[in-house]
Parts: sequence; structure tokens; C-alpha cells
Amino acid sequence: MLAQTISLFRYLMLGIMSRRLLLLMAILSLVAVLCASFIGELAIINGEAIVVAFVADFLRYSSALLALLMIATGVAEDYQSRQFERLLTMPLARWQYIAAQTLAIACLCLLLVVPALILIALYGDAGLGFYWAASLWLELFLISLLGLLAILSLEKIPQAVFFSLAVYLLAKLSGLIVLMLDESVRLSEGSATSRVVEFIFSAVLYVIPGSNTFARNDVFFENVDLLAALSSQLFSVTLYALFLLAVCLIDFYRKEFNL
Amino acid sequence: MRRGERPLLALPRPLLVAFVLLLGCQLIYHHYGLRGFDASYRGLTRPFSAAAYRGIAMGSEQLMGYLLALRLQLHDNQAGRHFRYRLIDYDILVDWLDRITEVSDGTEYPMLLASRIYSSTSDRDQLRRMLVFIERRFDDAPQLHWRRLAEASLLAKHRLDDLELALRLAEKLARQPASVRMPQWARDFHFLLLADLNELESAIAIIDAMLQSGSVNDPDEKRFLQEKLSAFRQKLFESRQTTPG
Repeated sequence: MLAQTISLFRYLMLGIMSRRLLLLMAILSLVAVLCASFIGELAIINGEAIVVAFVADFLRYSSALLALLMIATGVAEDYQSRQFERLLTMPLARWQYIAAQTLAIACLCLLLVVPALILIALYGDAGLGFYWAASLWLELFLISLLGLLAILSLEKIPQAVFFSLAVYLLAKLSGLIVLMLDESVRLSEGSATSRVVEFIFSAVLYVIPGSNTFARNDVFFENVDLLAALSSQLFSVTLYALFLLAVCLIDFYRKEFNL
Repeated sequence: MRRGERPLLALPRPLLVAFVLLLGCQLIYHHYGLRGFDASYRGLTRPFSAAAYRGIAMGSEQLMGYLLALRLQLHDNQAGRHFRYRLIDYDILVDWLDRITEVSDGTEYPMLLASRIYSSTSDRDQLRRMLVFIERRFDDAPQLHWRRLAEASLLAKHRLDDLELALRLAEKLARQPASVRMPQWARDFHFLLLADLNELESAIAIIDAMLQSGSVNDPDEKRFLQEKLSAFRQKLFESRQTTPG
């Protein structure tokens, strides 16, 4: 059973690698370095920290988008080429496909954090590079699982990528949205509509990743206990990733395939 | 040998008409494009609240603060031209500096912009606003900002010729507890400015207190203080000799 899952994982990884992943990563790293160097030239003080922080954030968001596209494209191709139907005629359980995808996501994220690790270690501090690589891996893993859930459910690449990005940005911008809703309640003098919207959003916040599931960019400017930050992130990501995997399994087991 | 050319009128008419039309379009477009190009100074817009910037930063508040500071730093360069600082609305500028300080907690950048960049304005009121900003923000992190306050004191003395303000800033610096580590020269500004204001007795009292408290351990610094003490005593003695009564 394990051997089958590993074979499936290898097949999925080959699919990911065939999409010019390494070339895309090299281009993104180059763009990150060029933009960051320009910004660093402008800075009067703390230029090095600004460069490292910019590279880290640039690679974070571009890698997240790249991971989402890779995962969504892979699963969408499986739907299109009726791969699931073929797989299910073999002695293979549905959970094994999800397990293989999870392993492929873990490896993809590992590949994606390598440029960040190298660049941050080169421009800044190796310790910070390792922290950022580990922290970014956790963040990318979570976003990719979200992408997997989205593509399994929605079956179309644009919808899946849009949904995953929406959830990601909603989680990232939750502070700003809460602020806007608070202001809206205040300006409307506590109208019922504003309060309902505020209540709905506060309920939505319970099912989207919290702010501590993401890598902390402030570590490049402040003295932060990296181990404590990473432990807290690991706990929240593990919890949310298991929740996402459970939803993926439920959704995948409910799907009807014409065998 | 040069290849012979057919006369222009021998070319197909639609080609000639299209050429004339396109040339006309290009000239008109360029003419209006130039008119639309606005090379005049565009003022600073008011910043959003710090909470809004923190929200937009998506967890990278420090980086956001630095990027905002760089954007502000580049404001006087517009459309390939450098504009004089006199054109900048310093009230809005101070709002921006405050906002960046709030977004990027513990940053030195806004104070640096105030003391090194925006203080180079030729307008005295604008310069005064920068010095007031530095004085106000110094209390947030004295350890981080002591250099800026020392610079502000010098600017007040030499650029504004406002010894009262310079003395106030220097006194604030000198009154910092020993836990705020800074070189002794930064604390010395206070008595040097007092002497400039002819407050020799106060300056002598301060140097006396410094020497007797044992807080000055550096031999060079001790020698400097003793020399100043002697010079101020001599000056005081001479002024008493020349002043009747």
C-alpha cells in the first residue's frame, strides 16, 4: 500500500517538474534580487535588512502563487484526462491519492523555499535564512493544501486559484477588514446591516488561517525568539492542515466517477 | 552606384495618403502628449492611519514602514526633476513621519529623514517644525535617537540661531539617565551652550557636578572638562571685573 502511494507521488512529482518549475524559480529569484538591490540602493540606513526582507516577501508571495498554479494544474489535468477513473480501476484507495498529493506538495514546497534560504543566507544571516525557509515551508504547505481542496472541489483552475488566493488574502488582510468594518459600524451609528456584516466576518475568521500561521517578516528588523515563533506556527499550521486534509478526503470520497 | 528612385507621385495613392495621415496623427499625438505632461510639483497627500498601513502590510509592518519611508524620501524627485524642499507642506510631512514611526515600531528612519534630509530646507519655519518633531519623538526611544537630538541641537544653534531651543534640546539630552548609553560629548553640549548664552555660573556648576559625581572616567574627557572649567571661571572672573557693581 505504501509502495503504491510512493509510486503515485513520484508520478505527481514528475508532472510538477515537467512544468519548468526550476526555470520559473530561477527567474523569480533573479527578479527578487534585482528589485531588492534597487530598493537597497535607495535606503540611507538598514539597506541590508530592507533587501533581505524584500527578497523574503517577494519570494513568499510569488512562491505561493506558483505552488497554487502547479497544484491546480496537476489535479485539473487529472480530471481532464480522466486519470481518476483509471486510478480507481486499480487496487488503489482514494485516500492514497490524497496522501500522494500531500507528499508531492511537501516536496514542491521544499523546492520552493530553497532560493529564499540561499538568498537570505547570502544577503543576511544563515540563522535567519533557516528560520525563514522553515517558516515559509509551513506557510506554502498550508496554502497548497488549500489549493488542493479548491481544485478537488471546483475542478477548474481559475476558480480554484481565485478561491485559494481569496482565502489567503482574506486571512492576511483580516486586520484591515476588521478595521474597515469597525469604522463602518461607527459611521453608520451602529446600523443593523453593519453589525450583521461585522458578525459574519468575525464568524468567517474562525475558519480561515490565523495570523500566526504565516512567516513573520519582522524577524529581519527585530530580535525575535525564532524557535518560539516557529513552534507556535508549527502548531497552528498542523492543526489547520489536518482540518484541510479531512475536508479534502470528505470531498474526494463523495465524488462520483464514471468507472 | 546609387540605385535609381521612382518619383513619389508614381507610388500608389492609398500608400501616400496613409503616410500623410499617419504622420499627421503622430504630430498631433506628440503635441497633445507634451501638453498633457505635467512637470509641475505635486504635493504630498495626507497619509492613512497607522492601523490601515498595518493592515495593508499583511504582517510585514517593518518592511512596510521602510518602503513608505523610501517613498517619502523620493517625493521631491518627480518627473525626472528635483523640487526644492520649500515646496513641501511640512505639516503633512510631519504627519507622514509620525505615521511611519507608528507603523514601523523602533525604526530610526523617520528621525534620520527629519534631521539629515528635510532639515536642509532654506525655510526657517520648516526647519523649526523638523526640530520640534525630533524633540517630540526622541522620548519614544532615547537610546535610538540621541544622535538625532544632538544634531537637532546643533541645527538650532547654527542654522536657526535659536540658542534657547538649542539649549532646551541639549538639556534634554544631558538629563538622560546613565542607562541611555551615549558618548560624553553629547551630554557636554548642554554646558557649552550655557557658556555661549553667558550662563557661566550654571555651566561651571554642571561641570563641577560631573567631575565630582565620578561619572566621567575617561582621562581625556576629564582633562577636557577641567580645561573648560578653568576657562569658564576665568571668563566669569573677567566679566565680573569689567561689570561695575
